[in-house]
Amino acid sequence: MNRKLMIWMVVPVLVTFLTGCPKKKPATPTTDLPVETEVVETPPPATTQEVVQTPPPEPVDETEDPMLSADLQVVNDELRRRGFSPDVFFEYDEISLSEETRERLARNAELLKAQPTFQVTIEGHADERGTNEYNLALGDRRANSVRDYLGSLGVDGGRLRIITYGEERPVCTESAESCWSQNRRAHMIITGRANVG
Amino acid sequence: MRSKALALTASAVLFVAGLSLPRIFAQEPPNPPPEQAPEVTLELNRGQRPPMKLAIPPFRGTQTLSGAAAGAAREMEQTVRRDLENSGYFEIIGPDRIGAVTWSGNMQRDVEPFRALGAETLLLGDVRAEGDRIVFEGRLFDIASAQPILAKRYRGSFTVTRRIGHTFADEVIRYLVGRPGISLSSIAFTSDRSGHKEIWVMDYDGQNQRRITGHRSTSMSPAWSPSGDALAYTSFFNGPPSIYVADMATNRKQPVVTSGSMNTTPTFSPDGGRVAFARSVEGNVEIFSTDRSGKGMRRLTHSNAIDTNPSWSPRGSEIAFTSGRAGNPHIYLMDSEGANQRRLTFDGDYNDGASWSPEGDLIVYTSRRGGRFQIAVTNVVTLATRVLTSGAGENESPAFSPDARKIAFVSRRSGRKQIYVMDVNGGNVQQVTQEGNNDMPDWSRIPVEP
Repeated sequence: MNRKLMIWMVVPVLVTFLTGCPKKKPATPTTDLPVETEVVETPPPATTQEVVQTPPPEPVDETEDPMLSADLQVVNDELRRRGFSPDVFFEYDEISLSEETRERLARNAELLKAQPTFQVTIEGHADERGTNEYNLALGDRRANSVRDYLGSLGVDGGRLRIITYGEERPVCTESAESCWSQNRRAHMIITGRANVG
Repeated sequence: MRSKALALTASAVLFVAGLSLPRIFAQEPPNPPPEQAPEVTLELNRGQRPPMKLAIPPFRGTQTLSGAAAGAAREMEQTVRRDLENSGYFEIIGPDRIGAVTWSGNMQRDVEPFRALGAETLLLGDVRAEGDRIVFEGRLFDIASAQPILAKRYRGSFTVTRRIGHTFADEVIRYLVGRPGISLSSIAFTSDRSGHKEIWVMDYDGQNQRRITGHRSTSMSPAWSPSGDALAYTSFFNGPPSIYVADMATNRKQPVVTSGSMNTTPTFSPDGGRVAFARSVEGNVEIFSTDRSGKGMRRLTHSNAIDTNPSWSPRGSEIAFTSGRAGNPHIYLMDSEGANQRRLTFDGDYNDGASWSPEGDLIVYTSRRGGRFQIAVTNVVTLATRVLTSGAGENESPAFSPDARKIAFVSRRSGRKQIYVMDVNGGNVQQVTQEGNNDMPDWSRIPVEP
């Protein structure tokens, strides 16, 4: 618990320092990403003195870049903080990608290309309308649509694994369009990391 | 399979040679009259005759029993009576109409009160206990001649009481109607009542519900092997949805196809040797078939749209499936090797879940009409179509009974998804599950005895 808490205290400060405020420069994310060794050795700014001075939880302190954390939850949260969209949404019974979805996926692709060791699982989901069986196929097509588009933007297809859940894993369970639109989605999550070297 | 199971559980002895007596009513049903306008009518009651009047007085001997034996005797009577009622072949004249009965031993005299009630056939049941076993004797008498036409004796432990009752009821149906009954058939389905969606099996009447899988994941789309020795199904327990077969005798689960991102909706070929299923390949979902061990995989469809949810015809030569190739899901037919693909349904804007009638002339499926899911049935030759359900409640996922007279389906009409059974014309709807959400029924076939 302590270790995780401290990572959280350290991480935002360091990243903010190194990348500048991401809100101000959302369009140029990847070029600002730090190299990990520099992160550890960069002296912290004065305002974050107390935080950084906290002794590291472990002698092996590879986790100061959250992108290197062994905890994939930390990695996914950090990616999201950097502008990664974990979900893109679909129209009813549709597998095509809207303009907004393509923009989101373009940013996702840049972030993924900057972290070439990440293995990504793309889950395809459907709303509850229609049959469970057809919705499984629909979810597979949606996940494939996203994989194909990320691939066209230069993300290595070997890193992208897909799985369909159809309507079996809804994030929202009310029978209303407000809920269905949240369930018609492809969900992207880092589920592993290839060994470097 | 069936005779083997019976040998293990109960001994059945034919002790009156009913075979030498004339089989009344045992002829095949007459041919239906020629359909006059096949494009608009769908005859679902072929060969039906008025129900046969069958008198079933209270089983004799129950009153002399006590404890577990008395309970078993009552269960026996209830099972036989309900099976024969459920079959739809009979008008049952029961204890409420019969009143007190005295038996003289002279059947000419004893059948008289039943003749007066208009009954054509009399069913006499006798129960007694032999230690921890129950002995049941069932007899049929032709009332017009006062002659015995069928008699059977069964002996077994109290735990097989219902099985004995089902067995005798199907003997009665076979003898009086000339067709196999469905009392020993089972319905496989999914239920989330344990906290996870698992595969379950129940008797055809909703009794004896038992869990088959314990994957604690999501398991679905159960499909019986034709002999009832196995269930194929889809499960997520090892990651992507994959196809497994559960052996009913050993409860062992074997993988069939687990490669790739998606393998779903299995269906057995009628010889039990192959499984057709939907598989994701090159970014699309197509129909494949393979043998039961996952070898000899063949691709059957090549469309740019989703092709899924195959159902193998009872004669084996064709496969029905769902395709989105026309813009929205419809039912299609193809030869079992993939040739001759053609569209079957043109009504409704979302059709899926084809299930063949045992004779292979009808396909029942889920069909969205006016924004609501209903059960529809289409004749594969004439394409005549009828919608069997109406109203709200999302009626889905139909499956034919092995005698083609009933359809199991899923509805939300009472709130949660539950399994119902109705007559093939849409009448006589009965709810057979209550606990949790229950879905995707598949009704076992019964091996036709030579």
